[in-house]
Parts: sequence; structure tokens; C-alpha cells
Amino acid sequence: MKNNLHLLFLIAVIIFFFSACVKDTDFDQTDDIVLETVLELDFIFFDINSQNFTDLGVNNTIISDTTNLDFLGSEAASENIIRVDFYFRNTNSFPVSLESQYQFLNDNNEIKYELTIPIQDGNVNNLVITEFTEIIENNDLIDFMMATKVVVNTIANTSLNNIDGNLDLQSKATYYLRLEQ
Amino acid sequence: MKYLLYCIFFFWGFSLFSQNKEVLYGLDETPQALLLNPGTRISNKYHFGIPLISHLHFNGGSSGISAYDIFQNTSVDINTRIRKKISELDGRDFFTASQQLEILNFGWKNKQEFYFSGGVYQEFDFIFYFPKDLAVLAWEGNANYIGKKFDLGEVNTRGDLLMVYHLGATKRWNKKLTIGARAKIYSSLLSFSSTDNSGTFETRISESGNNIYEHVVNANLSINTSGIASLSDLEDPSQATNKILNRAFLSGNLGLGIDLGATYEINEKLTASASFVDLGAIFHTKDIESYTVNGEYTLDGIELLFPPLVSTDTAPPYYDDLIDEIEDAFTVDTVYNSYSQMRPLKIYSSLKYNFGRPVGSDEGCDCLNTGENQKYNQSAGVQFFNMFRPKGPQFAATLFYYRKLSDYLTFKTTYTVDSYSYNNIGLGLVADIKMINFYIVANNLQWYSNFAKAKSVSLQMGLNIIIDENK
Repeated sequence: MKNNLHLLFLIAVIIFFFSACVKDTDFDQTDDIVLETVLELDFIFFDINSQNFTDLGVNNTIISDTTNLDFLGSEAASENIIRVDFYFRNTNSFPVSLESQYQFLNDNNEIKYELTIPIQDGNVNNLVITEFTEIIENNDLIDFMMATKVVVNTIANTSLNNIDGNLDLQSKATYYLRLEQ
Repeated sequence: MKYLLYCIFFFWGFSLFSQNKEVLYGLDETPQALLLNPGTRISNKYHFGIPLISHLHFNGGSSGISAYDIFQNTSVDINTRIRKKISELDGRDFFTASQQLEILNFGWKNKQEFYFSGGVYQEFDFIFYFPKDLAVLAWEGNANYIGKKFDLGEVNTRGDLLMVYHLGATKRWNKKLTIGARAKIYSSLLSFSSTDNSGTFETRISESGNNIYEHVVNANLSINTSGIASLSDLEDPSQATNKILNRAFLSGNLGLGIDLGATYEINEKLTASASFVDLGAIFHTKDIESYTVNGEYTLDGIELLFPPLVSTDTAPPYYDDLIDEIEDAFTVDTVYNSYSQMRPLKIYSSLKYNFGRPVGSDEGCDCLNTGENQKYNQSAGVQFFNMFRPKGPQFAATLFYYRKLSDYLTFKTTYTVDSYSYNNIGLGLVADIKMINFYIVANNLQWYSNFAKAKSVSLQMGLNIIIDENK
């Protein structure tokens, strides 16, 4: 009788060990997992004086440069970036106002996105900071993400010959990423 | 990603905290107790494990998270739960999985009263420490962490698939002391480890004033692999399987180890024991590829230089130059140097108090023997476990109660506390029906009604043939 009870106990324990279950869970929720990451990265910077400018006419002076931004045109970037914020901080000591243009071009040099930043005049004793934020999202973002380079033009509507001063640019980009299945 | 997550949580479902076999330790009715303490007092004359089923062991888990924590069926968004868990876990939390399959196990007592035992088993052992800083960086980005140094040194993982050939001897030295030792030859089938990393990633307000931020990376990362590089050249998975199986017969990277153990019967009622398991190393000399990354770089964006417009040159390749500069700053090497790797040492110790009904001695079952030969049908005590892992030791303390219900049925129940779990209840049963010895052990039983809530679960079972001295 006692042996039978022990046998019953053994069988009951084995059944118990193999009767474990998983409940109150939903593993299909893996489909809902979304990584929403916000990355802040420096963008471009420069520090220029009047000698960097080229006269295009009596009342038109310009500097221009181009850099590739290959990562923008990548598949990974275009699939996962849902918004880009640019922040530009121009510190101007030229006694004239300036205008900076940022033209984002694709490989065929077609403009996919463009922004213009008016820069207030300053002087060497009184540096004037002009801050500018551009938010790119939705349809604008689709065009923007086709760009692979940016052309930066800074224009003065007057000659800067023999004018003391500097234009200092600092900028950053905030990339909002959304990674999902 | 979905299937990767399924795999991770599958391991959660069938695993336990580290390699602590707290129920099996000291359960002298099973020959497998000799693998946890070669100094176990054993009264068999012979034993033979039924090949491939004498010891099945699944073991793994997570120190700080359960499947239920993430996948519970509630209205709270899963991403909110993941974010909450990332903030709760830290760099010492880990995911672990291990598994053992005994191929062969046998033992016999010679005329000099030495009990020899030997065999072969396959083992898989994996640990991955939670790289909290990298998880935060991946999940949230750096925008809200300006000035924070993300620790790249938190990357710490190790995995081994190996065969172990062993032969041990146990001797009851005198009435009080039983000692034993086991020599082991390890044959590593696959191995990787990345345990010696350092470095940081920081986005900080620019100190140079060039731009708004400086992104500073310094990295000193490495991963050692053996037995893996040659598999990547094979196109057919069956070729890889065959190659791995061939290594099982002592043609992998070899290592040596030893287990030591002792049982000391302080008096009729009190017994102490201790053991060191896997005191050894594997020497990786074949099919090795190690990768290292070292360097430091400070990124502050792309500086435009504005060459004169009249120049016929194209614009400087700022972006390409930047990428080249970053690549040059970090030295990426593949090295083929031999390396050795300590096995994760496990230390057990216990103290038990024997009581209840006398059940005989190794002189027979007449219950007339007293002193250290006397056995009782019940005991209770404490056990301690310590395992050396890449980031330091993992401790566990166990209270146990043992009872021999009859000549053929014994059980042991345990309550284990470790750094991460305060209520791990385990149970083991050993049935000796004539010469057949069957055992089954599991823990974290309190979660059996819903496995998903268990941070760790284990299952060990096996079948042996045992011939006692009095048969």
C-alpha cells in the first residue's frame, strides 16, 4: 500500500514537471516592436573671412562649396529616418547682412531640397548670432532623402573687399529614426 | 528580428540560473552526483548510464527579466515595457544558456575500494551580459544624453560547444573522509569570446569650439573565435555538421581540467562536503580567428574650406576624406594567434544535518552500525554555489531537505537564493526500481503554472543501471 502511494507520488511529480504552461502572454507582439531613436550629429562648420569671397559683380559677392552626403541617399537611411531637424548657428562680424543657401542635390545635380538663411549684420566688436532651425518631414523628407550632396552658398549683396569680419557657422542635424519590421 | 527574439525567449522557457545544479548536488542516489562532487560517498558497486539518456540537462535564463515582463498580454504598449526594463537592468545582468547531453557514463569499485567513474558528455555554455549603455543608445539615441560616456566595455559574451572526456576516482579514505578527483580532457568544437573590451562613445559640447558638439569614440574591442572560421567556407550545412562532429573525437582544440571534491562526516549527524568542478583550461591552437578594433577619433562634422571659385578643381572630397580619416583612426586586425581560456570554475560546498529513521549503512541494512556509517532517512542543510564568470563570480545559497521515502524512492527539495532570485524552489526525485535508477530534477517550480513569469527554469533527468554492493 505504501509502495503504491510512493509510485503514485512519483508519477504525479513527473506529470507536474511536464505540465508547465505559458499563459497570459502574446508573442505576436514582436510585430509591434519599434525602435524610436533620436540621434544628434554635427553637420558642417566653417569660419571664413572676406578673402574667401569672390566678387561676381560690384554688388554681388559669393562663396560656394560642396560636400557629398552619401549616407542620405542610402536605402537604410531613407527607410528608417522619419524626420530631420537642422540647426544652424551663424556668428557674423561682417558689418553687412548675408544670405546662406543650402541646396541638397541628387547625383544628377537636381535640387531635391533647398533652404535659405538670412544672416544679420554684425561688427568685429559686436558679434551677432543668427540661429535657424529647419524641420524636414513628410513629403519634403521623401525628396530630401534623395539628395546625396549639399551645395553651400553664402552671398553678400555688396563687395567685402577690405572689410574686416568673419562668418562662423556651426550646425547640427537631429535624425529621428523609426526602425520596425 | 522576430525569430531571433523567439529564440531568446525559447531559451528563457527551458533554462535555469547559471550552471548551479543545487538539487542534484549531494543527491548520492544518482551516479551523476559524482560529476558535481567526485568526493561523494557512494555505495554502488557498478553503474552504467543508459547511453544518450543518462543525463539530459537544460539550463539558462536571465538574471533580471522574464518573458512575461515583455510579452504580458496587457494594454500597455510592448515598447513601453521594453524601455522600462532597459532602465531597470544594468551591465551586470546577463542572459545565459547551457545544456549537457551525456553520451556515456560508467563506474565500478575495485578491490582496493576505489570507485572509478568515467564517461563522455557534450556541453554547451553561453553567457551574454546586457550591454545597458549600448541598449540605451540603440533604443533612445544620444540626443538626451549629451555629455554621457556610453561604455563600450559592457560588450561581454562567451560561448562554448565542447565534448568532455573524463575519468575519476573516489575513495572513502577513512570512516570520516571521502575524497575524489576527476581528470578531464576537453575537446572544443566551437568557441567564441569577447570579454576584454573597453572604450566609450560620448557626444559632448565642443571643447575646441569648431562646431556645436564633439563625438568622441575610443574603442579597444576584440573577439576570439576558434572552430568557426573554417565553417564559413562550407556551402552545405551538412558539411559543417560533419566537421563539428569529427572534432568531437579529440580532434578539436584540446584542454585539460580537473574536478576535486571531498565529503567529511563530522559526526553521526553532521556531514560537510565541498568540490571544485572544471578547474582547467582549453588551449585554442587550431582554426583560430580573432578580430580586434583599436583606436580613437573625435568627430566634429564636415569643415568646408571654400576653395576659390575661379579654381578649375572640383570641390575637395570632404565626405570621403572624413570616412578615410575615421577608418585610418581605427586599426582593424584579424589575428591568428593561439590563446587559452579558463573553463568557468564551479565551487560547491554544503553542510547537512542527518536525522530521522536509521536506514542502514554500507555494511548492510541491519541498522546496528553507529557513528559515521549510520545513514538516516532524512537530512536538511545548506549549500553554497559559486561560479566564475567573465564579470566576476555568481553566488547562490540553498536550503535543502532530503528524505528517503523508501528503498526505491528518494526526494530532495531546495530553496535557493542568489543575486537575482529570492524564491527558487527546486525538487528532485530518484527512483531505484531493482537495478534501474531514474531521476528527474527541476527548479523554479513556483512558476510552473505560468512558465513565462520565470526568469529561469531547469530540467535534468536521466536513466542509469546501478548494481549495489549488497546485490
